[in-house]
Amino acid sequence: MKRMDDATVIRQAAQWLVRLHSGQAGADDWAACARWRAAHPAHEQAWQKAERLSQRFGAVPPALGVPVLTRHIANRRAVLRMLTVLGLAAPAAWLGWRHAPWQNWTADYATATGEHREVTLADGSRLTLNTGSAVNVAWSDTERLVRLERGEVYVRTAPDTAAAPRPFVVETPQGRLRALGTRFTVRLQPAGNDAPATTQLSVLEHRVEATPRSGGTARIVKAGQAVQLTAMQVEAPQPHTADAPGWTQGVLYADAMELGDFVAELSRYRPGVIRCAPEVAGLRISGAFQLADTDYVLAMLRETLPVQVVLRTRWWVTVVPQGTVPDPG
Amino acid sequence: MPASSSVTSPASALAVQALYQDHHSWLVALLRRRLNCPHGAADMAQDAFVRVLVRPDALPELREPRAYLTTIARGLLHDHWRRRSLEQAWLDTLAALPEHLAPSPEDTLTIRQTLQQLDDMLGRLAPKAREVFVLSQLQGLGYAQIAAQVGIGERTVKRYMAQGFELCLALME
Repeated sequence: MKRMDDATVIRQAAQWLVRLHSGQAGADDWAACARWRAAHPAHEQAWQKAERLSQRFGAVPPALGVPVLTRHIANRRAVLRMLTVLGLAAPAAWLGWRHAPWQNWTADYATATGEHREVTLADGSRLTLNTGSAVNVAWSDTERLVRLERGEVYVRTAPDTAAAPRPFVVETPQGRLRALGTRFTVRLQPAGNDAPATTQLSVLEHRVEATPRSGGTARIVKAGQAVQLTAMQVEAPQPHTADAPGWTQGVLYADAMELGDFVAELSRYRPGVIRCAPEVAGLRISGAFQLADTDYVLAMLRETLPVQVVLRTRWWVTVVPQGTVPDPG
Repeated sequence: MPASSSVTSPASALAVQALYQDHHSWLVALLRRRLNCPHGAADMAQDAFVRVLVRPDALPELREPRAYLTTIARGLLHDHWRRRSLEQAWLDTLAALPEHLAPSPEDTLTIRQTLQQLDDMLGRLAPKAREVFVLSQLQGLGYAQIAAQVGIGERTVKRYMAQGFELCLALME
């Protein structure tokens, strides 16, 4: 019986995927699918499989994947030729999943990698979305709720004009951040190898109350402080600059930042993969870098540090120690 | 050795043992003819019996044990040839790729492994369905474009896509 139920859910999930991948799906299709997902935990579970499948396909450049996976077709050579002609365009498409089209489609506001966006909400509050971010806005009679689904957002709240003022809340997978009249940034940090996913809150003005999802102790975070939130707890506040974050001006500020961290930060603003060799990850870098031109930033690294920047393709960049590979000139 | 709990029943354990004694060398000989490689044949015969062990429920009513083993062996041979041809197509494609598109060595390894997983998943789709699915999921084409390129109707594209998604979702862990 159980097995039959699984098969039914999988068939339904497959039907949704067929609809959404047609090339003609609109926002209402995605919304309908989101409702189906929310209707039952088993639906969401099946959907998670769909996401993993999508990531698996996304990890393969089409120029390599299509000829190999369709090798049984007689006109394979023709396909190969066609792809070689399309060559340059192809990798852009496979990077699609890093932009997480699933989430972008269902989100109210979203940005692609390298993009910024400023949004003014119904009450006059303003959100600035950093690169690769997505938010959903859920206004109700009792609160002004903004869900951060991905990335980073800079919030400037306005007083509510409703007769009974509603609190302004940013929700993340780790908890809820209630604004107490204020400016702050919220950033989602995906889980790493040995670290859980966290929310980073930096308060620039006034205060924000942070409550972990588990319902643990809430903490008031003041201007000039930053905290990390896991689903279980809010960690102790650290001092933090109260200036608007550099990225809102399109600048990445580094103050004796480790190169490994710098490269990881830079990779948020650039489609594709940038890696830093461990031998040079500990070098320090300082300066203000324009995020609009990551090519130039990469070129600058070569000028200022004993490193080489190897571009295998526009999308595969590795920072390695100087002299690792012969310089083309 | 992977084995489901039902293998522990003495009756099916005996049945597997009997099957092994009566048909093992016959199966190895059969596989050797197809594979042209004695070690590969012995390994594959071993794999075949492991599959029997994992599905002992099929054993009691087994009237044609050799037909049953042949079916399993055919599946294994199919996988074997598919992996061989994957390797060949992979090398051909890499060689034909313009240099500026070639992935770095470490990315190459990851891509190769992912392709293997995808290929295993798609192995059960009919060639046309597989082509359609790959054009959609890798190349990012819409159904109308796929229909035009493959020379089939859009309804058929949709049917193939549904088959592909169902199969893949069922196989995703």
